[in-house]
Amino acid sequence: MKFIINREEILLPLQQIVSVIEKRQTMPILSNVLMVIEGDQLTLTGTDLEIQIIAKINIATADPGSITVPARKFLDICRLLPNGAEIKFELQDDKVKIASSRSRFSLSCLPADNYPEFAESELENHLFINAGKFKKALDKTVFCMANQDVRYYLNGLLLNVSNSKLKLVASDGHRLSIYEDNLDQPTGFESRIILPRKGVLELSRLLDDPEAELKVEFSSNNIRIFIKNLIFSAKLVDSKYPDFGKVFQQEFFNQIHIQKQFLKEALTRVAILANEKFKGVTFDISPGSLKMSTHNPEHDEAEEELVIEYTGEPLTIAFNAQYLLDAVSNLDSELAVLTIASNASSCFIDEPGDCGYKFIVMPMRL
Amino acid sequence: MNSTRKIIHIDMDAFFAAVEQRDFPQYRNKPIIVGGTPHSRGVVATCSYEARKYGVHSAMPSAHAYRLCPQAIFVKPRFDAYQEASLAIRKIFADYTDLFEPLSLDEAYLDVSNASLHQGSATLIAKAIKAAIKRETQLIASAGVSYNKFLAKIASDINKPDGLYLITPEQGETFVEQLPVEKFHGIGKATSIKMHSLGIKTGKDLKELPLEMLQHYFGKAGLHYYSISRGIDNRPVNNYRIRKSVGVEITFQQDIKARQDVIAQLQDLMEKALSKVTEKQLVAHTLTVKIKYHDFVQITRSRTLPQTITAAAAIPAILEDLLKNTDIGRRNVRLLGITLSSLESKSGQAHFRQMDLFSDY
Repeated sequence: MKFIINREEILLPLQQIVSVIEKRQTMPILSNVLMVIEGDQLTLTGTDLEIQIIAKINIATADPGSITVPARKFLDICRLLPNGAEIKFELQDDKVKIASSRSRFSLSCLPADNYPEFAESELENHLFINAGKFKKALDKTVFCMANQDVRYYLNGLLLNVSNSKLKLVASDGHRLSIYEDNLDQPTGFESRIILPRKGVLELSRLLDDPEAELKVEFSSNNIRIFIKNLIFSAKLVDSKYPDFGKVFQQEFFNQIHIQKQFLKEALTRVAILANEKFKGVTFDISPGSLKMSTHNPEHDEAEEELVIEYTGEPLTIAFNAQYLLDAVSNLDSELAVLTIASNASSCFIDEPGDCGYKFIVMPMRL
Repeated sequence: MNSTRKIIHIDMDAFFAAVEQRDFPQYRNKPIIVGGTPHSRGVVATCSYEARKYGVHSAMPSAHAYRLCPQAIFVKPRFDAYQEASLAIRKIFADYTDLFEPLSLDEAYLDVSNASLHQGSATLIAKAIKAAIKRETQLIASAGVSYNKFLAKIASDINKPDGLYLITPEQGETFVEQLPVEKFHGIGKATSIKMHSLGIKTGKDLKELPLEMLQHYFGKAGLHYYSISRGIDNRPVNNYRIRKSVGVEITFQQDIKARQDVIAQLQDLMEKALSKVTEKQLVAHTLTVKIKYHDFVQITRSRTLPQTITAAAAIPAILEDLLKNTDIGRRNVRLLGITLSSLESKSGQAHFRQMDLFSDY
C-alpha cells in the first residue's frame, strides 16, 4: 500500500474523522483511522462504534491496500507539516512510513482486518435537504439538548419528518426548542427518530458548505447522511421522545415585546450577582416595564429596569438567566417576543411574525 | 482569644523517606532520596537523614543530589503509602483534639487549649502524640509547643529529628528577638535578602522598625512581620475543611470478574457513599467509579449529572453506562470504589426550584 497526497487534500477530512474518535479506548484499534486504497480512491474511516465518519479522497498516485494507523498521531504529523507539503505514505512490513521533503516518520499500525464493522440495518427512508437549511435547523435547536441526563432520550435531537414537513426538537426539560421547515420534495412518509447528542454535534461541524445537497437515509435504528465526499453514520437513540404538546395547550398572557439587545445586556449584568449555580433572576412585569432582580447567598443584590411593550395584568416570574440568554441570543430579529402562560408555568420566546422556530423556557419557582 | 492558647505543631521527620525505610528494611541506615531519578528532570521530594549529611535537601534537582551523593538510593514516591501513614497520624491527632489543621501529608497544627488529657499539659500531650505515632506507624515526628502557630512551627524545627521543644509565653518575645529573619516562617529567600539589604538580620532588628516603615517596604505583609516580631500570631487553628468528595471502596479477598457481580458491588458501595453524603447534609452531582484490575492497573470513570444523585432507579443505568468503556467482565477486578463529589449543602439548594417541562405537567 502506497500513495502520495497533498497535505491540503487529507488534512480537513482527517480532522473531521479524528473528532469522533474517543480519546479513551479499551479497543486500541478504535484510536486508529482505517485507510483503504481502492483504484484511485483513498477512503478514511473513524468510529467510536456509535458514530462513524467516512471520507473519500480521489488520489492520483497509489498502490492499493489497507491499514489502520493511530489517528491523532497521523493527524498531528499532517497538521504540522508545512502548507502544501507533498506527503508520501507507504506500508513497509508492520510500519507505515511517512515522508515529506526532509521529514521522515515511521508509525506503528494495526491490520485493517481487525477494524470493527459498523453494523447498519437497512435504511428504508430517504430524503434530500440543503446543508445550509439543515445547519440552520440544528443551530436553532442543539443548544437545548440535554447533556448526560438520566432521561437518556433527552440527550439527543428529535427529527420528525411528516411528508414534506421537517421538525426538529431538543429539550433538557428546562427549556425546549422547536424548529419547523418544509422540504423541497415530499417524502411520502411519517417518522420520528432521535439522533444522539454527540452525533448531532459532530454532524453540525460537517455542514460547513451551505450549498451542499445532503442525502439522508435512515431506519428506526440508524441514520446515514451523505455530505459531498463524506458519509456520516450514527446509531439512533432507541426510545420514544416524550410528549411536550401539553405545553402549547394553555392560556397565555398578552405578548411582551422587548428590544433583544437591551434584554441581553440587562440579563447579563443582573446575572453577575445571581446564585452561581441556579442563576435565578426574577421578572416583575407590568404595563410598559420589566424589572429584573436577583440576589445570591452572599446577600449581593442587582436590579435592572427595561422599557417594554406590554399591556395587561402585572405578573411575576423567575428564570435561570442563562436559559433565557441562550434563547434570546438565538433569535434572528431585533425584537424579542415573550409570551408567558397564564399560570406562569412556561415562557415562549420567538420573533414577531412567522419565523419557523420557537423556544420555551421553564420558570423557576420559589 | 484573650486566654493563652496551647498550640502544637507536629512535623514528621523525613516523612516519605522514613516510610520507605520502614517498608523496605534494605533501605535502613542508607541515604534514600525519594523523588525524581537522577537522570530525569525531577527533584528531591524528601531524603533520609543519611542523605542530608551530604548536603542533599528537598526541592533540589535529583541530578544535583546525585552528584553530591552518588551512592544514594533513588526511590519513586509511593503516595498511596504516604497517604495511608498520614491518615493514621491524623487519627491519632483526633484522639487528643478535634481542632487540628493538616498542612500537608506530614505536618499539622493542633490546638489543645481545651484538651483535658495529661492535665491539659501541651508538652505532655505532644510527647504522647509522638509516642503514639511511633507505636502505630513506626515513624518519627518532631513537635513544637507554644502559644501560637508561628512559634509552634519554629519550635518543631529546633531539635529535629525526634525533637520536642517548648516556647513559653514568657520566652516568646526574647526567643523571636534572637531569631535570624530567614528562619521566620513566611519570610522566604527574596524577602530575607531584601531585609538584609535594609540591615534587618534578626527578630530584634525587625521589632525596632515602626509599622509604617514595614508596611512601606513590605506592603500587606508588613503588619504580619510587625506582629510576629513581637511573638504575636492570632491565626486560629482551622479545622474547617470544605469536604470535596466522599468515597468508599472495597478490596476483594478474591478478585471478582462477572459483570453482574461488579454491578452489585458498585450498587452496594453507592448506597454506602450516599448515606455518608446524606449524613453530612450534603448532596452530590458527580459520580466516579474506580476500578483496579488484578494487575493493579487502575481506571476511573466519572459522570456529572445536572440533578442531584440519589438512590433512584436511574443509578444502575448510569453505572452500566460508566462501565461501557472498561474491561469489566473480561478482566479480574481487585478493587472497586465509588466517589461522590461536586458536593453542596442540602439547605443551600432549592431556594428557586427549576420547573421541568416533562415532569411538572
